[in-house]
Amino acid sequence: MALVHKLLNGTCILRKCPKPSVASYPFLGTRFADYCSSSLQKPAPVPGKASSQRKTEGDLQGHHQRDVALDITCPEEKPEVSFDKAIKDELKNHFWRLKDDIVNRWIGPEGRPLHEVLLEQARVVWKFRGKEDLDKWIVTSDKTIGGRSEAFLKMGKNNQSALLYGTLSSDTPQDGESSRSGYCAMISRIPRGPFERKRSYDWSQFNTLYLRVRGDGRPWMVNIREDTDIIQRKNQMYSYFMFTRGGPYWQDVKIPFSKFFFSNQGRIRDAQYQLLLDKFWRLGSPRSRCLHIWCLVSVHFLACSQPPSCCILMAEREQVLVFLLIKALIPS
Amino acid sequence: MNPLIFTTILMTVLLGTMIVMTSSHWLMIWIGFEMNLLAIIPILMKKYNPRTMEASTKYFLTQATASMLLMMAIIINLMHSGQWTITKVFNPTASIIMTSALAMKLGLTPFHFWVPEVTQGISLTSGLILLTWQKLAPMSILYQISPSINLNILLTMAVLSILVGGWGGLNQTQLRKIMAYSSIAHMGWMTAVLVYNPTLTMLNMLIYIMMTLTMFMLFIHSSSTTTLSLSHTWNKTPLTTTLILITLLSMGGLPPLSGFMPKWMIIQELTKNSSIILPTLMAIMALLNLYFYMRLTYSTSLTMFPSTNNMKMKWQFETKRITLLPPLIVMSSLLLPLTPMLSILD
Repeated sequence: MALVHKLLNGTCILRKCPKPSVASYPFLGTRFADYCSSSLQKPAPVPGKASSQRKTEGDLQGHHQRDVALDITCPEEKPEVSFDKAIKDELKNHFWRLKDDIVNRWIGPEGRPLHEVLLEQARVVWKFRGKEDLDKWIVTSDKTIGGRSEAFLKMGKNNQSALLYGTLSSDTPQDGESSRSGYCAMISRIPRGPFERKRSYDWSQFNTLYLRVRGDGRPWMVNIREDTDIIQRKNQMYSYFMFTRGGPYWQDVKIPFSKFFFSNQGRIRDAQYQLLLDKFWRLGSPRSRCLHIWCLVSVHFLACSQPPSCCILMAEREQVLVFLLIKALIPS
Repeated sequence: MNPLIFTTILMTVLLGTMIVMTSSHWLMIWIGFEMNLLAIIPILMKKYNPRTMEASTKYFLTQATASMLLMMAIIINLMHSGQWTITKVFNPTASIIMTSALAMKLGLTPFHFWVPEVTQGISLTSGLILLTWQKLAPMSILYQISPSINLNILLTMAVLSILVGGWGGLNQTQLRKIMAYSSIAHMGWMTAVLVYNPTLTMLNMLIYIMMTLTMFMLFIHSSSTTTLSLSHTWNKTPLTTTLILITLLSMGGLPPLSGFMPKWMIIQELTKNSSIILPTLMAIMALLNLYFYMRLTYSTSLTMFPSTNNMKMKWQFETKRITLLPPLIVMSSLLLPLTPMLSILD
């Protein structure tokens, strides 16, 4: 049922058609094929919403490509939609992944021999070498809640890095609820197994997060979320700062996992807990608290490592007090 | 936690299990289960962190659901028999529902999904109590109602549990999850022979508790929760690595260690009852368990795993002394010669 729902959603988003009611169509296959193959208008990019700042700062690194959000398709592209083919491809894909899952289980954890997993001291988890690497990330901004910030992710020069760029605006949405606004973030997608089963990363043998970035000189935040089945924990995360230097050289940022502090719904908790790494779920890097500025960071790779000098289990409370001091000094 | 409060809670856990094991009234049995459940929750959350809270919540939800099913089965039985005593389950529907409820409490397949998640989320000491003491009460009820249980359902659950316990533990690097899948497999062995010879179930339970206690105490002693940290114990206490080797092989059911005894007796009992394919399948699937025990043994005891630390000695915070460890190790490895004495069980 989940597979059918996903396919219907996928087909409907591409064609912008209203979702058909399953109960009214007794013969699912032929009826839906006819319904979805009818010609429908494709969505055009929304005009007039580009900010003035984007026009003046438009060309980044001499690139003349028009900045469009990742979720809007170009009018020149004509995606092929065939319902039967989509179902077959999807089923084939999921069963292939299930077969790989079963075969990899004989090899070892995550499809690699156990001794390899136990002996490794560093693992590159995300690197940016092609478009498929960009698909592993979600880019969001306060546009989802009515704000005016925009963020985009694209491949950098020579397909060796990813570039997160956009504009931040602290204009609050006029909804009567929000008093502060202005953020953008790139968040990793949740790892999924066959049939969209939820998975998590096991980083328990590492103790440091290692990033190679080239930023815009502004502080960013790195957030980590743990896998959870309880809805009350969905807003809990562990965070730490990433201070970027501003280029032109790459910057190696190493953050021990013990430095991450625990927060719930954006507020730091008095009681701090150790970050447990056996059910690592999502990594996010947001940026906020700016007034109508552009933001830019290039990311070469994100990895985890185990330097022998670092063996702290958990940061002390003093780390939390240091954070509060820095927050007061940054002009808003 | 305040020692007085902790003692009270622990006594409640013990009392709840004792009530379940000694009562003949179904309502008292249900009350014993509830007392046990409510008292074990603060013990599971003793070292509080969000993961522990989630594990305790999952445990509470599954056990409460099982208790509800049990109460429904009790009432259906009462409607058909007019009595509250635990002599016999008169109604087949009540028997099936009761079996499902007790399987959920024990963590038998297909109700096993909570076991690795809960065990992974709690501390080693709490995991020790969860995988040993908490199995006694439901197993005692299964023992008492064994003549009324549907044989097909029980054997299916048993075989699937052995398979899932072996398959699920194959790629684990977290020790608590390994012990959880080991528990699922051992529960499968116990329930497979329940209908034929319930006394062997008790024997298997006893040996299983001894071996699991020993393993957990060794993990607590070496402060290890992952395979990698266990593989560094040769740095800290070389004797522990030898004891881990012996105990793991005993859990895998290798002769001449104690763990071979229950498997041998169960296979013998099943073949005596003209069942050939079932014990063959069970013995083959037990090899999966043995495979991941051997892998753990290989990285811990049979090889001196390269240490990633600059220092020779593993970083240790405090030395833990466990007084019961030596007798437990002896009992979990050297009891096989006593097998001829078990003829008194027939």
